[in-house]
Amino acid sequence: MSLLEVKGIEKRFGDTEVLKDISFSLEEGKALAIIGSSGSGKTTLLRCLNFLEKPDAGTISVRGKCIFDAADPATQRENEVRQKRLHFGLVFQSFNLFPQYTALENVTLAGKLRQDKSQWSAIERQGMELLERMGLGDRSGHYPHQLSGGQQQRVAIARALALQPDVLCFDEPTSALDPELTGEVLKVIRSLAEQDTTMIIVTHEMAFARDVADEVIFMDGGVIVEQGSAKEVIEHPAQERTRQFLARYAES
Amino acid sequence: MEQFTTVVGALNVSFLLNLKLFAITLLGAIPLGLVISFGSMCRFTPLRWLTRTVVWIIRGTPLMLQLYIIFFIPGMMLESGSPWPAGSSGRFLAASIMFIINYACYFSEIYRGGIQGVPVGQQEAGLVLGLTRRQIFFKVTLLQMVKRIVPPMGNEFITLVKDTSLANVISVQEIIWAGKAFFKTSHGYSGLMWPIFFTGVYFLAFSGVLTLLFDRLEKKLDYFK
Repeated sequence: MSLLEVKGIEKRFGDTEVLKDISFSLEEGKALAIIGSSGSGKTTLLRCLNFLEKPDAGTISVRGKCIFDAADPATQRENEVRQKRLHFGLVFQSFNLFPQYTALENVTLAGKLRQDKSQWSAIERQGMELLERMGLGDRSGHYPHQLSGGQQQRVAIARALALQPDVLCFDEPTSALDPELTGEVLKVIRSLAEQDTTMIIVTHEMAFARDVADEVIFMDGGVIVEQGSAKEVIEHPAQERTRQFLARYAES
Repeated sequence: MEQFTTVVGALNVSFLLNLKLFAITLLGAIPLGLVISFGSMCRFTPLRWLTRTVVWIIRGTPLMLQLYIIFFIPGMMLESGSPWPAGSSGRFLAASIMFIINYACYFSEIYRGGIQGVPVGQQEAGLVLGLTRRQIFFKVTLLQMVKRIVPPMGNEFITLVKDTSLANVISVQEIIWAGKAFFKTSHGYSGLMWPIFFTGVYFLAFSGVLTLLFDRLEKKLDYFK
């Protein structure tokens, strides 16, 4: 059984159809990269999975259990949605760390708000471990503005991992970074992939997608044009639109 | 010298009334302003428009006029006469209520700017982490909003100190009233001009203290950006 099963997702903003009949599935421990030009709907798809946007049609299932059905309002109550969000973690393009909290506090805040005080020391220990895994053990007491962009994004990854989501989503995690800082973030994501973290990565880094992802989806105009193994799609695309997109990429 | 001591004594007592009005206004207007700001951002359109209309009326008319209205109009409309308790306590109560409403409307707009100035990504980050809207407001948004509103709130606080004098239009015997009383006769002295000018020292001193406090608060919130 697939860990994640997405069926027939549709989303429109006013008259604009942003997502049309999006269906795919993801096995546990696999990494899926979503590529495509700006405006192709990749980010909206990710936001739908995290319930930041409500799809107009379609279903989302995790481990065979339907957690969202656009046709069934019972799956859309705010309190339940809040619980179901925890199946997914999201790392934002612009980090969105909480500026008034230190790196460690950013990682532990949600856990502490969910558990009572007796658990807090365990949560802090786990938070420290996560920061150490991100290579930030010595930065735990720093505030976000005292960290570089790459360090901030790694804190954001630790924050997303802290709640142990089933699927970790990345929304163009390196697009807001200076080129010399993208490497450290990609390295962390690569190591997560090696540890069989189930991930969906929206990215513009084609070489990275090819090396790290197991599968690739190419989106254009709100539809999935092509999907398959990462090597296949990026090195031997079957569709003309995919070829054109990758060629444009290779030029720039 | 004896004259100076007597006048200062009288001004001290009356300035306490300004300070009391200042404190009561803040106690009422700081939370009420938050409620009004939520109203003016409400997704329910009629409530949003109602709130914004009230804010427009309150901010769009002089506080002095509002004080006359709240103190005199109810008595003219009600058969039973003025609902305010007789004497100085009634006048002070009417002034307090009007000051709270007036300042709450100004505060609400400052809060609204502060809340809307916090990037939407902060709220989304909280949502994705499974926080409730309440937790997001109190644990994520609030402090960032406070940091943003400290400078404009400092302005409002200083304006409020001086505005408390307006209460004398409904005969609250605050410091300007007390200073003016020496023009004629007060505390056994007649025709003294200097006390009214001397009241300025009180306002200057108090707004100086406020400025220092706000500077410290701003520094305290400097630990994050």
